Amino acid sequence: MSSSAVSLYLDPQIRDWVLFPITLVMILVGILRHYVVLLLQSPPKKLPRAAIREQRALTRSQILRATSSNSSIPPSFYRSISNTLAAAFEAGTYLKDGPPSDDSPSTPPNPMTDPAAMDGMMSGMKTQMVMMVPQMVIMGWINFFFQGFVLIKLPFPLTLGFKSMLQRGIETPDMDVRWVSSLSWYFLNFFGLNGLYRLILGNDNSAADTSQNMMASPFAGAAQPAGPQDYNKLFKAEKDNLAFAEGLYSWMGDDVETRLLRKYGKL
Amino acid sequence: MSLSSALETLANYRTHNTRASQDIVEKGRLLLKSNVASKMGDDAWAFLEQLALASVDIARYDVADECLRQLLAKFPESPRVDVLSGIRMEATEPPEVVLKFYDQLLEADSSNAAIYKRRISVLVRMGKTEQAVSELCEYLDTFYSDVEGWVELAELYSSCNQYTSALQALSHALLLAPQNPFYVLQFAETAYTAEDIPLAIKMFMLTIDIADRHASEESIPSGASVRAWYGVKLCCRALSERSSLSSPSDTPLPKNLNLLDELATERVLTAYSAATGKGERLDESLC
Repeated sequence: MSSSAVSLYLDPQIRDWVLFPITLVMILVGILRHYVVLLLQSPPKKLPRAAIREQRALTRSQILRATSSNSSIPPSFYRSISNTLAAAFEAGTYLKDGPPSDDSPSTPPNPMTDPAAMDGMMSGMKTQMVMMVPQMVIMGWINFFFQGFVLIKLPFPLTLGFKSMLQRGIETPDMDVRWVSSLSWYFLNFFGLNGLYRLILGNDNSAADTSQNMMASPFAGAAQPAGPQDYNKLFKAEKDNLAFAEGLYSWMGDDVETRLLRKYGKL
Repeated sequence: MSLSSALETLANYRTHNTRASQDIVEKGRLLLKSNVASKMGDDAWAFLEQLALASVDIARYDVADECLRQLLAKFPESPRVDVLSGIRMEATEPPEVVLKFYDQLLEADSSNAAIYKRRISVLVRMGKTEQAVSELCEYLDTFYSDVEGWVELAELYSSCNQYTSALQALSHALLLAPQNPFYVLQFAETAYTAEDIPLAIKMFMLTIDIADRHASEESIPSGASVRAWYGVKLCCRALSERSSLSSPSDTPLPKNLNLLDELATERVLTAYSAATGKGERLDESLC
């Protein structure tokens, strides 16, 4: 501080009435947001049995295919399972709404018409709003009351490249980069508090992952994570996969006697 | 016995799925009386569930009812508690009442796998095997990955002498748990009972292949593989006695049948001489 005249002297009141309040408000809002999100989360919707059956039908053939090149079940049994599955996929037995009629146009289902999908989207939007709104309010608050404030001086020197990161809101070409402006302090907190939230709220809290969400894309989370699927199409594709797997099929029992005899030294 | 060690034993039973109902109820009643449950936090609910099951097992319905009361107060609409109260009802109520109770639950929520299984087990107990089989098939059509369900279906079929269907059910179990030699052994034994000897001998050998993956010439067969070697021996004899054997599954006969017979005899002898040897040593040490 003593070395030069360019050095600034910060009023301790700035520390007490600006620096600490901003930090405290951000921590508290993060914790509050965690609990609001917990309140907003509706319990996962229960699927009716037909929907579960439709969803899991694919795993059946995946299990069959996974072991087909070294299968533990004899050929006749493998073939009967494989053929039954292929026939069922072809006929659409596993579809939730029964086998489709022939002349129906094969358009992918519209997410807006399915109430279940709508519910999922709404809950995603709600969570996203809880994330966004407080951040916007705090930023507005800081911009309105503390614009252009210099809050702290970092205890280590930095290169000029950090100027736009640390002195946002203060347009001075020759101030030392170590001074941090109020808006930049807000951003530092915004991205840096995750560790603290994790300490306070535990590992999978909903306060910590905000910044990752926001950085990626604010409304990406609102879209369906895996859009509504056209199972009919998936089943048709799976049928071809089954045919491929049948080509690869070989039974572990084919040469088991040779393997055993060799292992025990008889061959 | 101190409370903390009792708690530890119970937790151990829970992780290992041990059915030591008498012991659980004795220790659990102590804990219940001293009201440890309120201090245990979230572990308490698992303990109460365990105690309720164990006390139904040995017909201490008063203890079970107390556990259920506490669980219901905490989780009024939990499907898991519903299952537990269903089990409690099965112990004393006539099966028709229990079935009706399960039907009501399923009407409210058709995706509760545990309720389906309870319902099927009640049907089996009532002797309605046919209905049980058809419901079990329907259940497995939805919840395919339930290995125990497939094995149960195979046993139900076997009890009605429907061996081909039993083999089909077992093949699903094999697909889901290809690493388990006991399912392969069961498959082999079912095939032997169905007189599909070539298939049976192949599956017996497969059992040995899986169970004794790391065995060598000197090691002594144990567990599933003793039974499997004996099965190979029996199959070899059946194959040598009857020249024309039909195999419904078109399984080819194994090559080198004589060598196999020799090897199986040798392995079975090794297993049993080792067992009697151990018995003799035991006798000596007792004297």
